[in-house]
Amino acid sequence: MSAEYTCLVVEDSPMMRQLLVFALSRVKNLRVTEADDGVDGLRKLAAGRFDIILTDINMPIMDGLKLVKRVRSDPMHKDTPVIIITTEGAAEDRKRAIELGANAYITKPIQAPQVIAKVKELLKIVP
Amino acid sequence: MADRKTGGGQQPDAKGEASGDIKTDASAKIERDSFVHTFFKKGAEFTDELLRENDRLRKRLFDLESENAALRTHLASDEAIRELLRKIEYLEREKEQLLSHVREAERNSSHLFTRYSEVEEELSNLAHLYVASYQLHSTLHLREVLRHLKELLTQLVGSRAHAFYLKDGSDLVPISSDGIELSRLPRLAIHAGSRKEEDRGSRDRTGDLIERVFMTGVAHIEEGELSTAPRDQPAACVPMRIDDAVVGVIVIYSLLDQKEQFLPVDYALFKMLGAHAATALMGALLFANSNGKFPGLEAIDAITRNVGDDLK
Repeated sequence: MSAEYTCLVVEDSPMMRQLLVFALSRVKNLRVTEADDGVDGLRKLAAGRFDIILTDINMPIMDGLKLVKRVRSDPMHKDTPVIIITTEGAAEDRKRAIELGANAYITKPIQAPQVIAKVKELLKIVP
Repeated sequence: MADRKTGGGQQPDAKGEASGDIKTDASAKIERDSFVHTFFKKGAEFTDELLRENDRLRKRLFDLESENAALRTHLASDEAIRELLRKIEYLEREKEQLLSHVREAERNSSHLFTRYSEVEEELSNLAHLYVASYQLHSTLHLREVLRHLKELLTQLVGSRAHAFYLKDGSDLVPISSDGIELSRLPRLAIHAGSRKEEDRGSRDRTGDLIERVFMTGVAHIEEGELSTAPRDQPAACVPMRIDDAVVGVIVIYSLLDQKEQFLPVDYALFKMLGAHAATALMGALLFANSNGKFPGLEAIDAITRNVGDDLK
């Protein structure tokens, strides 16, 4: 399969990461790369170009919000859509994430159809 | 002129006869002239009349031809209209058929879309279960098993506070918790229904519920809107089994705000946890007791021999 899109999943929980990878495998022509925290995410971003990024907020070493900030200051990925995944459903957290430059916000527990729909929407993949 | 003087071309003789003849001749001539004149006049009139009649007839003929042409045109036009009406009727029928096909296609499409959504949801649920069981049995280290159990409840179910109770003698002992301090959780004595009414006040409804779930082996899961569920008792209480024996209870005290209600996948996860959490915990405990040593082939041989003896 020749991948048309590339996606970076930054998540410290192996369970969530596996679940996200399963969900994203339902999106045709999408190649997924995994990173287990913000720093690992930055490393992967430096090594290649990604069309979309999914990141958890609460992670050790570097959290998701700091990662979004860094992504927005990176010339190669400053326009890359970012989906924030978090356990917090409060409107303030949502606002903060969007202000930092995130494009969408998904709360846990995640539902695969919701993740797929959001990724397709941001990548402008016609269903 | 000479004729005129003599009264015409014939000279009257002296006699009256001659004069009479002349007279007669003249009269006859006059009459003849008059007749001829009248005749010609009538002829001219008749000719005029004929010409007028001819004109009238020509005009009439022209009118009739025009009328005929108009009628022919009209007839052709009527035929064209009839043909058009027939065509409209045919097109209307065709339109109805096409609309019917479109409606049927829409119904099929809607049905397929619904089915597709159901299959997607089913796949998502299966993925949840697969990931949960894969992670749960991916390690024999107790710390890791507990971490996976905690993650499973937090990430997949949406738990904010939960605890795991295991049976120890006649008590249920909290062995791990998240979102609630372990030291705040009491040991629960299992009274097997013999507890006196006056003792009941010393324990809250949560304790009663945990005990009941342990005793009966029947899970308690709040159905419907979780926001309207009673605050003084857990949202879910799931017995943990090894074979048919209940060995502990998973207690979910509260859930994330955005978790509005338990979904079918949560029920499936609870069922899976009820059957696998205890075996994962027991496996990890046994592994810890063996100081992290994997049993050798001799252990398998011994067990097989014993099983073989039992079968004899």
